[in-house]
Amino acid sequence: MAKYSVIGHRLPRIDAVQKATGKVTFGVDVRLPAMLYGKLLRSPYPHARIVHIETSRAAAIPGVKAVITGQDIPENRVGYAVKDEYCLARDEVRCIGDPVAAVAAEDEEAAERAVEAIEVDYEELPAIFDAEEAAKPGVPLVHPDLSSYTTTSLMGRRFSPQPGTNICNRQQRRLGDVERGFRESDLVFEDTFRTQMVHHGYIEPHAAMAFVDPSGQITVWCNTQRPYGIRDYLATALGVPMSRIRVIGTKVGAGFGGKISPRVEPGCVLLSQKTGRPVKMVMTREEELTATAGRVPSVVKVKTGVRLDGTIMARKVDILFDTGAYAEGLPPSNRAINDAAGPYKVAHLEINSTLVYTNKMRGTPFRGLGVPQAAWAVEVQTDIIAERLGMDPLDFRLKNAVDEGDPDSTGAPLHSVGVKDCLRQTAQAIGWGQPKSGPYRGRGIAALHKSPTSVLSASGAIVKLNEDGTLTVLTGASDIGQGSDTLLCMIAAEVLGVRLEDVSIVSADTEVTPFDHGTFSSRLTLYAGNAVRHAATDARQQVLRLAAELLEAPVEDLETRDRRVFVREQPQIGMPLADVVLASIASRGRPIMGQGSAHGPGTGLVEGAVPGWKYGAHAAQVEVDPDTGQVTVLKFVATHDYGQAINPTMAEGQIEGGVGMGVSCALSEEVLFDGGRVVNPTFMDYRILTSADMPPIESHIVEVPLPEGPFGAKGGGEPSVIAVAPAIANAIYDAIGVRIADLPITPEKILQALDKKRRHGPKIRG
Amino acid sequence: MKQLISLKVNGTTHEVAVEPYWTLLNVIRDHLGLTGTKRGCDSGDCGACTVIMNGKPVNSCLVLAVDARDRDILTIEGLAQDGKLHPLQEAFIEKGGIQCGYCTPGMIMMAKALLDENPRPTEAQVRQAIAGNLCRCTGYVKIVEAILAASEAMTPAKP
Repeated sequence: MAKYSVIGHRLPRIDAVQKATGKVTFGVDVRLPAMLYGKLLRSPYPHARIVHIETSRAAAIPGVKAVITGQDIPENRVGYAVKDEYCLARDEVRCIGDPVAAVAAEDEEAAERAVEAIEVDYEELPAIFDAEEAAKPGVPLVHPDLSSYTTTSLMGRRFSPQPGTNICNRQQRRLGDVERGFRESDLVFEDTFRTQMVHHGYIEPHAAMAFVDPSGQITVWCNTQRPYGIRDYLATALGVPMSRIRVIGTKVGAGFGGKISPRVEPGCVLLSQKTGRPVKMVMTREEELTATAGRVPSVVKVKTGVRLDGTIMARKVDILFDTGAYAEGLPPSNRAINDAAGPYKVAHLEINSTLVYTNKMRGTPFRGLGVPQAAWAVEVQTDIIAERLGMDPLDFRLKNAVDEGDPDSTGAPLHSVGVKDCLRQTAQAIGWGQPKSGPYRGRGIAALHKSPTSVLSASGAIVKLNEDGTLTVLTGASDIGQGSDTLLCMIAAEVLGVRLEDVSIVSADTEVTPFDHGTFSSRLTLYAGNAVRHAATDARQQVLRLAAELLEAPVEDLETRDRRVFVREQPQIGMPLADVVLASIASRGRPIMGQGSAHGPGTGLVEGAVPGWKYGAHAAQVEVDPDTGQVTVLKFVATHDYGQAINPTMAEGQIEGGVGMGVSCALSEEVLFDGGRVVNPTFMDYRILTSADMPPIESHIVEVPLPEGPFGAKGGGEPSVIAVAPAIANAIYDAIGVRIADLPITPEKILQALDKKRRHGPKIRG
Repeated sequence: MKQLISLKVNGTTHEVAVEPYWTLLNVIRDHLGLTGTKRGCDSGDCGACTVIMNGKPVNSCLVLAVDARDRDILTIEGLAQDGKLHPLQEAFIEKGGIQCGYCTPGMIMMAKALLDENPRPTEAQVRQAIAGNLCRCTGYVKIVEAILAASEAMTPAKP
């Protein structure tokens, strides 16, 4: 018999029928009577002073109802993590794409014409585009006022700017004595790696609708990952209390971190304030690819000391993150401090993370925060070390991988560690150690971990029981396609002993649903899941207390299952759940509502301690065409430790989707800049792999339960992308004996490396 | 200057006044209120706006509304019949082929066009057929599985 009646079952997601029939409301689908269409005018310069904006010609265009600039709005700095910008640029633009004016009109064509008719005088300022240059002294400053910047209350925790420079955050983590560790090593390796900017590539563009009623009450519908964050941002920008703002999350056509920060919401609100009418904005694909954000590009230097027996003694990781014009890269730069060492025992550790401003499109969280960048470097170097030691890369990883009780990078002991299981299963499934199936073919493997959100991340939930024994979950968490609505309903159903179809959910509405920090960092299963579990348990306790009276049985003898409450040892003594709820309402005047909340298990006590690590391993089998440099991934295997897969079909979906994205980012995708300008702003030129290019992806699930997780679950959406690129790079080395240090791995880089190798290096294996 | 055209969508004929530069996607979504068809790029690169016109799949963002005049257009809203889901819809739901759901309508319409022409495609043929429909959530794995399962359900293999 299955351990649970709902948890662990392959149930279709609760919104699948509506999605399959086109009957869900995404952000782009929201319509209101008398709505206007909004448009933003964006800076064509990477760095410039705004001398004058002339809007009269635009305002005179028929159908145009409002034109606003930065001078029309409250002078309140806002930001996602650091308050370093204005909703509309006031005096200065810091990257191409910065919004400088907003227009509302009766139709999109009039709005577009009006945007074109706005005249802006700019005085160009010196700009800087290269992160390594930007980190040096004496270069143009992107934010001369950096010393006066503060962080946001919800997101900006660790923030250590270096005034007078472009360095907006610098963090260090030390464990042991790294210099001693290097001295005690037999071999020390130093390598430098780079990762490119990739775009989240969600298919639904950013969209918002705002309506400000005559009393000043603001309602915003938007496809956000973080409704409470949007509310916080708007309250700060407008200087109004949160009670005047309601943010309603729509269905979200995926996010991956790209829909955490507001992009069009403030403009819609400002224009609605001005016009008294609802205003809607939808970004174009070109705006998405030039004026939103991408994964924070990085330069990663890894220095590792090992003993000849294969023991890792010391590791130093220096990461330079390029956050572009605004500091949305702060969370990734902070996260890297926890995770950059990889899932290995490293007694002597030092991690330095530096975040710099440049005059380019901003970096932001993207599936894995700063961890994929670090994993690219660490996991490729791991293979370099193993080869030099004459060790099998799998054995070298297994020898050093963390076990129960080993310290994490904060020194706190780890538990529920599944990384070795993941490595073994992955290796077996990819055919590790078997003879190669042909020339120019190879296998590569990589391990990964990912820390959960650390301190001060919270979720609340309410579970209401209906008079017929069905129930409703209220959660502030937004389902962005990963399936949290379904998963949270499954948790509530399991706790109360009802079926999934008995549970409905209201999510992501700041006026109705309890606070939730938002959908990022793979935190919902653990945080929102625990909040719902606690709320459902609270409701269940209320049911049991009353049922104990009605059934004249001790509370502890009662069980809830199959929509009934009954005596565990005598199931015939019991009653329908509905009857208990009705009795509570009718005879006690007490509707049954449970409430729950959760923050990090065990966190909140020790700054930076992050229990609940997730683990996985990735492996690729590739074939390389030595004449064209084309890499074909023949097969990809990914194994992830979910603790407990609440819904295995959805867990597999997360793995397959993350791997698919990872393969695409490893081999194809790059936001290409010419100075500060993105030169490939279409899906024709920004190439996401199609179904025809995608390799077969095999997903495996390992379950090492996390006691603090709901039913042992750890969750996981980000981990599946983390080690894809290094697994492929390691397979390429196995196939043709060249190492690529800079992502993406293009045919040109392969050919250059092969050419260099022919001239200098050993013979190609194959 | 607007022209009055008649558009037959999901079996219903609509009289719509359209500008000559309006796309079929605009008209379907903004004027007929059939928002199941999605806009992802407006340039024919993502496939989210796929509908079936006279039996052929088209990117409705690349078709001018005036060129769709008097054609037979099927959108995602017209696929379920008498409240019964199409086998492709059933399979997408059952196999987990839907995550965020934004590519789903276009993906299902493209798959329908494929199965109408080739009821028993191979996996490679399925992958080729939907190669113009981007999905960022699934790695295409469960989408391909769903299409093959629907094909199997609609046209069982001969014993």
